[in-house]
Amino acid sequence: MKKCFITIGLFFMSLPLATPCFSAEPIKIGALYSLTGGMSSIDTPSLRGAELAVKIINKNGGLLDGRMIELISVDAKTDQKAAAIGAKKLLSNGVIAGIGHSDPSFVLPSAPLFQKKGIPFVTSGATLPTLPMMIGDCLFMVPFGDDDQSFAIADYSFKSLGVKNVAIWTDNSMDFTKTLSKFYKQRMTELGAKIVLEDFFMMGDKDFSAQIARLKNVSPQPDAVFISSIPNEAGLTTKQLRENGLTLPIVSGDGFDTELIVTVPGKELANDVYFSTHTYRADPRPEVIQFIADYEKEYGVPPENAFAPLGYDAIALIADAITRAGSATPKALKESLAKTMGFKAVTGEISYTRPSRVPVKGVSIISVKKGEYNVEEIWFPTTK
Amino acid sequence: MDFGYIAQQLANGLILGSMYALVAIGFSMIYGIVRLINFAHGDIVMIGAFTTLVLMETAGLPFPLVAFFVLLTGCGMGILIERISFRPMRGAPQVTGFIASLGISIMLQNLGILTLSAQPRNFSFPSYMQRILNLGPVSFRVVDVVIILTAFFLMVALIFLVQKTKLGIAMRATAENIDVARLMGIDINKTIMATFAIGSGLAAIAGLMWGGKFGQIDPLMGYVPGLKSFVAAVIGGVGSIPGAILGAFILGLSEVLFVGLLPPIYSSYRDAFVFGVLIIILIAMPNGLLGKDIGDKA
Repeated sequence: MKKCFITIGLFFMSLPLATPCFSAEPIKIGALYSLTGGMSSIDTPSLRGAELAVKIINKNGGLLDGRMIELISVDAKTDQKAAAIGAKKLLSNGVIAGIGHSDPSFVLPSAPLFQKKGIPFVTSGATLPTLPMMIGDCLFMVPFGDDDQSFAIADYSFKSLGVKNVAIWTDNSMDFTKTLSKFYKQRMTELGAKIVLEDFFMMGDKDFSAQIARLKNVSPQPDAVFISSIPNEAGLTTKQLRENGLTLPIVSGDGFDTELIVTVPGKELANDVYFSTHTYRADPRPEVIQFIADYEKEYGVPPENAFAPLGYDAIALIADAITRAGSATPKALKESLAKTMGFKAVTGEISYTRPSRVPVKGVSIISVKKGEYNVEEIWFPTTK
Repeated sequence: MDFGYIAQQLANGLILGSMYALVAIGFSMIYGIVRLINFAHGDIVMIGAFTTLVLMETAGLPFPLVAFFVLLTGCGMGILIERISFRPMRGAPQVTGFIASLGISIMLQNLGILTLSAQPRNFSFPSYMQRILNLGPVSFRVVDVVIILTAFFLMVALIFLVQKTKLGIAMRATAENIDVARLMGIDINKTIMATFAIGSGLAAIAGLMWGGKFGQIDPLMGYVPGLKSFVAAVIGGVGSIPGAILGAFILGLSEVLFVGLLPPIYSSYRDAFVFGVLIIILIAMPNGLLGKDIGDKA
């Protein structure tokens, strides 16, 4: 018992010694991710990436002469109402910035609440290119826009794969997948390719046999199929297409940036798949190598998908803006974020120079051949 | 749209139907005896799939042994769930058990997300199961044949169990009238526990098959099969085992033909169509195709 008191006593006595390091008020940042429900396989890695960034910054002495970052996380539960309630909760907690969401369906109910209070919101994964215009000057995007990633893979499939006739499969349940298909179709038609079949499915579908039979039966036969899906259906569609004897190239966007397209069908069948994604996978830049090493050390597994480095970048972007502004008020942060130029993020350089305020970022074209991922090219948007 | 195309779509429908049948048999059996719409049934499917993954990938056991242990795990889960949550509320109105099963379902799903992470995982069956067979214009895989055969074997075995064995007689008596059955000296607790064990064991085997068929599993994988097998059971007549199989095949076929024969733009209305059919069946024939009018004892 006596020992116990001594320990507690010592603990409290040591507190004043420790406090100088913590004396400055922490910088509160809110994180809104769907940790349960359908989005959790995408959003959880983002939060883990963000937490890793916070941990590394705090370990290196924090920001602005020793102020620590405090990340407050609220579960958005793959539910728009929960996303809005979560935003209110964070705002009443006095955060100076928010990060979060990998789909515009959840940014739209939550980010306007930040906008109303003039507090910046950085979305780590929502790629709808009209988001900054729809919400206002407080919204910042870490990723490229869907138009860029669709144009990139369309250019690649037309010019490098020689695709003249294409079939398009779209997950009809999400804004993201529908937008992706829309831009792909637009670019392919501009380039002079023909859309021979458009088919649809819903997130959560497991069986694609009916769509595959139709694809086999269409004439003229397509040279490639564009599948607009999120990771959950990426492996399933690849597996079932290949198992039914279809060997045509499969092309897609960052929804295919997952190990599942190799592990689910197996190495032998994971062949001739091409997707556009954030410049990160199989990329030798030092930021990327450092991030992967840190992530593995912290969590014991390699980053699950590109949403992990995107979450990391969201925090790093804010930290960079705070340092440049020399202040942690929302107003200074917002102005400083808008001036970001050539920030070396893990997922590529970020500059907000376009009038649409969608970052100008390179897009990687990755090929999967017999289970091996390779970077085919880095595509850059022609800045307007 | 030629003959080959329609034949392939019919085969696809039958294969999908047999997947639903696997889940629906156990579901219908539990309802037939305990009068409980068990929404946690789909989540036992998930547990079965993850058990298979652990036993096959981590422990590296041979396939038949894996199937046996998966069956045992399913039975164990069934007994556990019955003991913890359904036995204490025996005699309560039907809706109480229904809501409790929903609660268990949500709990199992979120426990799965927290302990196994929501990341979908790959699941690989032995390669001889994946071989493609061609029969004229129709192509299918060995695993599809195994699934259809398993579904029929389980149906026959279950009908035999319910009709011919002592346990089966006890089950039917319990289903008929629980109080009279008790007066006749039937151990109600044991009978109901056995029902749950068998039904959940079947669900776990269904999980093994679902994993093998699609090659990808996640903690929420049981939700949709659970709901669809419920629809299949309603179409066939809840409580009737042949009815569940019939309903599952009708459901699988109509789902695939709905996608396959209508213009592609309707493909994404597949689930809306399934649940629309459920409502029509409930209005037109509340007892399903093979169900008997047993009256509501709630």
